[in-house]
Amino acid sequence: MKTVTKILALGGVAVLLALAGTAMFQSEAKEIKLLNVSYDPTRELYQEYDAAFVKYWKEKTGETVVIQQSHGGSGKQARSVIDGLGGDVVTLALAYDIDAIVQKGKLIAPDWQKRLPQNSTPYTSTIVFLVRKGNPKGIKDWDDLVKPGVGIIPANPKTSGAARWAYLAAWGYALKKNNGDEAKAREFVTRFYKNVPVLDSGARGATTTFVKRGIGDVLVGWENEAMLSLKESGGDFEVIAPSISILAEPPVAIVDRVAKKHGTEALAKAYLEYLYSPEGQEIAARNFYRPRNQEIAAKYADKFPKLTLFTIDEVFGGWQKANKTHFADGGIFDQIQRENR
Amino acid sequence: MKRTLLLLPLAAALAVPPANASDADEINALKQQLQALDQKIRVLERQRELDDEVAATKAKDAPRVSLGERGLNIRSADTNFAFQLHGLVQVDNRTFFRDGNLKGNDGFLLRRARPIFQGTLYRDFDFMFVPDFGGSSVQIFDAYLNYRYEPWLQLRAGKFKSPVGLEYLQSDPVTHFTERSLVTALVPGRDVGFQIWGDALQGRLSYAAGVFNGAGDARNGGSSDFEDHREFAGRVFTQPFKTSDNEWIKGIGFGLGGSWGNVSSNSTGLPNGSGYATDGAQRFFSYNNGVVASGDRWRLSPQAYYFTGPFSLLAEYAISRQEIQAGALKADLEHRAWEVTAGWVLTGEDASFTGVNPKNPFNPKDGHWGALQLVARYAELDIDNDAFPIFANPASSATAAQAWAVGLNWYLNKNIRASASFNRTTFTGGKAGAVSGQPEEALFTRVQLAF
Repeated sequence: MKTVTKILALGGVAVLLALAGTAMFQSEAKEIKLLNVSYDPTRELYQEYDAAFVKYWKEKTGETVVIQQSHGGSGKQARSVIDGLGGDVVTLALAYDIDAIVQKGKLIAPDWQKRLPQNSTPYTSTIVFLVRKGNPKGIKDWDDLVKPGVGIIPANPKTSGAARWAYLAAWGYALKKNNGDEAKAREFVTRFYKNVPVLDSGARGATTTFVKRGIGDVLVGWENEAMLSLKESGGDFEVIAPSISILAEPPVAIVDRVAKKHGTEALAKAYLEYLYSPEGQEIAARNFYRPRNQEIAAKYADKFPKLTLFTIDEVFGGWQKANKTHFADGGIFDQIQRENR
Repeated sequence: MKRTLLLLPLAAALAVPPANASDADEINALKQQLQALDQKIRVLERQRELDDEVAATKAKDAPRVSLGERGLNIRSADTNFAFQLHGLVQVDNRTFFRDGNLKGNDGFLLRRARPIFQGTLYRDFDFMFVPDFGGSSVQIFDAYLNYRYEPWLQLRAGKFKSPVGLEYLQSDPVTHFTERSLVTALVPGRDVGFQIWGDALQGRLSYAAGVFNGAGDARNGGSSDFEDHREFAGRVFTQPFKTSDNEWIKGIGFGLGGSWGNVSSNSTGLPNGSGYATDGAQRFFSYNNGVVASGDRWRLSPQAYYFTGPFSLLAEYAISRQEIQAGALKADLEHRAWEVTAGWVLTGEDASFTGVNPKNPFNPKDGHWGALQLVARYAELDIDNDAFPIFANPASSATAAQAWAVGLNWYLNKNIRASASFNRTTFTGGKAGAVSGQPEEALFTRVQLAF
C-alpha cells in the first residue's frame, strides 16, 4: 500500500510539473519596455526617434517595444540613475555625467565611450544665442553679452549640462581672445554671470524663462533648443551664432547593470546603435542636432550656422579636469557666484 | 495682472505726446525705467515659480509617512527604504459541549498577539520580524531577511514558514476558520533555514525550495538545532489562468509541496506535542513515552484552490512518513490527512486567498454592516495502524479523526473580523475518559484585529 502511495505521489509530481510547465510557456503577446533617461531638451528628438525605432525593431524581430523617456537637467538625471531610477540607457548632455554613473553607481562599464563610434556621441551641438526679434541690444558676439544692461539667460551649471557647455564656451572664448590669460577669462565670465537675472535648473526651464516669461535679452544655450524655439515661435526670435563656440558632444550609453537585470541588453544596444543609422541621423538633423554622418550633415548643412568650434579637450583638458576646476563645490563657478552677490 | 496694474500709471504718462526734445529724452528715460521695472517684476515672478519648483522637488524627496488600514508605513521618497508596522491580535473563546467531563478545555484565549515589523532596505532587501505574545510564552515566529533580485528569483534566510502546506501558508488573519484543519497537522510549521523562491510569469507560477533544520509535524522549529541533519522542503504552485479575463477560470490554482530529511534519534522530530490534535487543540493521538523520531522523514502535499467571485474552495491532501523508534523497535509510519474547505461571501464581495475586503465597512449610522462569509469544512486524519500498540496506546489514542465544521465570518472592515464556528470531530478508536472517548463538539468564537 505504501509503495502504491509512493508511485501515486511521484505520478502526481510529474503531472503537476507538466501542468506548471504548460503554464510557464503559455504564449502571450511579448512587450518589452526600455527606459531612456535623457537630458532636458531632447524630448522632441526622442519622441520622433523612439517611434522610428519601435517600427524598425518590430519589423526586424517581431517584438513590440515600449520606450519610456525621462527628462531633466543632465546632472540631476545622472544622480537619479545612480539612486535607482532604472534607466536601461542614458542619453545625457555630457560625458562627465555618465562617468559619474560609472564611478558612483558602478552601473556602467568604464570603457563605455569605446563601445560606440565617435566616443559614443552620435550627434553634436553647440552653444548659440537666441535674441528677441530685431535684436534690440545688438548682440553679435560674446563681448556684447557682458555689456551693462544686457540680461543673459543661461541655466545653472551646477545642475544643467547645457549650462556647463555655455559656461565653458564663454570661458574658452575669453581665453582665446586674451591669449590664454586665465585671469582675464575669469573676469569675463564673472561679468557674464553678473548679467544673469535668474538661473533655471535645466535648459528647458531657461528657455521657458526667456521665451514664455519674456525675461532677459539673450538666451545662451543649446543650438537645437534655440532653433526649436525659433521654429515654434513663428518669427519672434533670432538665432545669433557667435564667432567661436564649443563643440558639445552629448554622449549615450547602455546602463549595463540595469539592462542586464531587465534582460534588455540586446535591445538597448540596438537602440543606441540605431542612432548612427541614416534614419537616426536624419531624425537628429531634423531636430536641430548636428549629425555625425557626413552625407546627412551635408544634406542639412544650410540649417546649421558655420562657426569655429573648439573642443573641451583642447581648452580644458577634458571633462574631469574642467569639472574639478569650475563646477565642483567651491570651484570657480561657486566663487564667481559669491563675488556677484 | 498685478504687473499691469503697477505699470499702468507710468504707461499712461508715456502716452502723452512730447512737447520738445527735452521731453522726448525724459520720455525715453521713463520708457527705459518702465522696461527695467517690467523685467524686475518678471524676474521676481519667475524666481517665485522656480522657488515653488524647488519646494515641490524637495517635498517629493522627503520621506512619506502614512497611517491607514495597512498599518504605519514610512518610506523614503525613492521607495528604496521602507518600514511598516503591522499588528495582529486574536481573542478567542472555546466552549466544548458533551465533552465527557474533560476539564480544562473551555475558556478565553489570547490566541495571537503579534506586532509585525517589516520593511525594505536598499530597494532589494526585505526583512520581517514577528514575535508573538499570545499563548503562554513569548516566541519569535518570523525573523528573516529576503533578497529580491527579481520577483522570480529571491533568496530568504532566517525563520519563516516552511513551504509545504497550502492551508498553513495562508496568512493567519484570513483563514476560513479560526483554526486550521487536520491536514495542517501533518505539515511542518516555521523553521530556520535558507530558501530560494519566486513568482514567475506574472504570478502564474510560484516556486520555493529550501533547506531547513527540520521540524516535526505542525511544529515550529527552535532558533537553533544542532542535530546534524537538514530537511529539504519545496513547493510548486501554479495559477495557469491568472492573467486570463475569464472570471470562471482565473482563480484556479494547484500545486505540490513536499519535504525530505533525516532525523537523529530525538523527540523534537515527532509532531508538535508528540501527537496530533483536533480543531479544538485537544490531543486525540499521542506517541508513547520513549518514542523518538529516528531516520528518514518525508512529506507530500498535493493542494489546490479555486476562487471565483464570492465563492472559495481549498483542498489539500498530506502524507507524512517518519521512521520512529522505541528502544530497539523501529517502524516506518505513514499518516495521511485531507481536507476540503468552501466559503461563500453572502454580501457579494470577492473571496481570495488573501481574504475578503468589505465593500461597505461597518457603519450602522449609514446602514453599512461589512461583509459576511459562510464557511464549511470537512477533514480527516488517518494514523498508520502500525503505530499501535507499540508506539501509541490504542486505549487512549484514536486511529483516525473525522472533523466537520460550519462557521460565519463577519468582516466589519478590512481590519476587524469576528468569527464563530461549530466544529464536530469524531474518532475511530480511542476510549471513554480520553479526548477520543466521545465526539468533540465545540463552539469557537474570535474577535480579531489585523492591520
